[in-house]
Amino acid sequence: MQEDFHYYATYCAAFIAGYSHKESLDIAYSAQFVDVCSRTLLTKIRGPLDAATTQLKLELMEARTDPAGLQDITRIWSSFHFLPRDLLAEKKHCIKHYRDKFRLICGPNGDLVVKTVELAKGKALQSVGIAMHVLADTWAHANFAGTPSLVINNTNYVFYELFPDGESIKEKQIKFRHKASMPDDLENSIYTNSLYQSSENSIMNLGHGRAGHLPDYSFVRYRYLPAWGGYEEIIKDNPSDYLKAFTQMIYAMKYIRGDNDSFHTNVYDIEAIGQWQDRIKAIIEKRQLLASDDWKSFGEELSGETIEDFRIDKYFDEYIKSPRNEKNETFIGKFTRGAIAHKGMVIEEIYRTKNKLAGVARESFLAMLFKKDAG
Amino acid sequence: MTIFQRVRSILFGIATFIAAILFIIFPDDGAYGWVIMTLFLGLTIRGLKCIIFYFTMARHMVGGKMILVQGVIILDFALFTGSISDVPKIYILLYLIGIHAFSGVIEVLRAMESKRTVAGHWKLKFSHGLVDFLLAILCMVFIRHQNTSLLIYSLGLLYSSVMRIINAFRKTTFILIE
Repeated sequence: MQEDFHYYATYCAAFIAGYSHKESLDIAYSAQFVDVCSRTLLTKIRGPLDAATTQLKLELMEARTDPAGLQDITRIWSSFHFLPRDLLAEKKHCIKHYRDKFRLICGPNGDLVVKTVELAKGKALQSVGIAMHVLADTWAHANFAGTPSLVINNTNYVFYELFPDGESIKEKQIKFRHKASMPDDLENSIYTNSLYQSSENSIMNLGHGRAGHLPDYSFVRYRYLPAWGGYEEIIKDNPSDYLKAFTQMIYAMKYIRGDNDSFHTNVYDIEAIGQWQDRIKAIIEKRQLLASDDWKSFGEELSGETIEDFRIDKYFDEYIKSPRNEKNETFIGKFTRGAIAHKGMVIEEIYRTKNKLAGVARESFLAMLFKKDAG
Repeated sequence: MTIFQRVRSILFGIATFIAAILFIIFPDDGAYGWVIMTLFLGLTIRGLKCIIFYFTMARHMVGGKMILVQGVIILDFALFTGSISDVPKIYILLYLIGIHAFSGVIEVLRAMESKRTVAGHWKLKFSHGLVDFLLAILCMVFIRHQNTSLLIYSLGLLYSSVMRIINAFRKTTFILIE
C-alpha cells in the first residue's frame, strides 16, 4: 500500500471510527511514518535504531544475507509489512526450514492481527497508527512473506490482469520490465518488478518485489501462480480486499476507542460506511497510480477540515530538541516506543513457534512490551 | 548487490581476465589441465548445490523442477569434463562446440521468452546466447589448430570476466515495498 491508503484513507477510517480531526491526523501520520522510519532516518534524528519499521533501498542493497542479516530483515518486514497469517500453518513432506518460511506468508484475519490490535488498545495514537498500517498491509501484501525467499515469493509468467466486462471477465497478460525509474504503464498493463534471482536468500526475493507494485494498487484485479501454492492459481481482487481493509480498520479503531468490547477476525464495519459506500468504492476502483487526491478530498468532506500533506520531518525538531528524559513523550518518542513494542510482540510470537527466522526478541523489546504505560 | 559483493565480483573478474590472457599467451598442457580441473570443480559444486536446494526447498516451488534439471545437467557436464583429461583434443573440441552451441541456443530461446513477458530485459541474454553460438562456430573454424580448445575457452573466460566486471557496476532494479 502507498501513501494514498496509509495516510489519507487511514485518516478517513479514523474519522469515521469516531476520532477527532487532530487525532485522525496523528493516527494517519503514524501509519504512513511506518513506511519511512528507517535506520538512516533514526540515525539522523538520533532515535533508537531498534525502532526501525522499514529499510531504505540503499540499506537493503547493503543488507547482509547471512543468518543474522536475514533475521534482521525478517524482523522488520514480517512485523510491519507482511504480518504472518498463520504461524502454525502445516505443509506436508517438507523440511523445517521450508516450513518456517511457509509460515511467514502474510495474510489477513490471522491471530497476529488480533494481537496487533489488542496491543494498541490503551496506548498512544501513534501505536494505533502503527497497528492500522500493519492491518492494512495484511490485505495488500497477502500471499507474500516478509523474508527473502525464492521458493515462497517468486512468481512466473502466469500473470494476467482481469477486467470485469458485464458478466464476463476479460484477461490481459501482464508484462513486466525491470526499470524502477519508469512509472507503471496502466494502459498497456506493463509493470516494473524485481529481477529473477535464483539465489534463495537474494534481497530481490523479499516480499512482493517479483509482483512489482501490483499489490499496492487498489484498483487492480489479477491472477497469478504463487511459488508456494502447488500450481494453484490465486485470484487477487484488490478492490474487494481494500474495501475490507478499510472497514476492518474502522472496526478495529472502534474497539481501540472502547466502542466495541472485543476485536474478532472476519468482521467488517460495512454499516459505518453506508452512506459513502459508492464514493469509497469509486475511489478504490479508479485506475490511477496514486489515489491520494481522491482520498484527501473525501476526508476533507468528512471532517470539514483541511488535511495537510504528509511531511516526513513534521516532528523532527520536537524530538531532536527535547531533553533526553522527555523524548519518550514527544510524537516520535511515542512512535518509536510503539514500534519497538509491536516488533517485540511479533518476534516473540514467531519464536514461540520454534521458528528462528526472526531471531529472538531482545530484553529491551520485552521490557517495553510488558510495560503498562507504553503510551 | 552489496559493496563487498561488488568488490568481490570485480576482483574475481580481473583474476579470470588475467588467467585468460595467460592461457592465450602460454598455451601449454599444464594450462590445459588447470582449465579442465577448474571446470570440473566449479561445475560439480554448482550442480550439487542445485540438486540439494531442489530436494530441501525448491521441490515445493512452482517451476522448481527446472532447478533439479539444471543441477543434474550441470553435474553431468562436470563429471564428463573430469573424465576427458586423457582423450584426444579433437573430442574436447567437439565437446566445447556442443556446450557452446547448446547453451547459445537455450540462451537465445530464453531471451525470446523474456522479450514476450519482460519488457526491455532480453538484450543481454540474447547477446550472451549469440556469443556462445559464435564461440561454437569459432571452434569449428579452428578445429585443426592444436590449442584451439584452450584459445576458445580463454575467449569465453575473457567475455565472462568483462561481463562480471560490468555487472558489478550495474544498478540492480529493486522494488521498494510500501
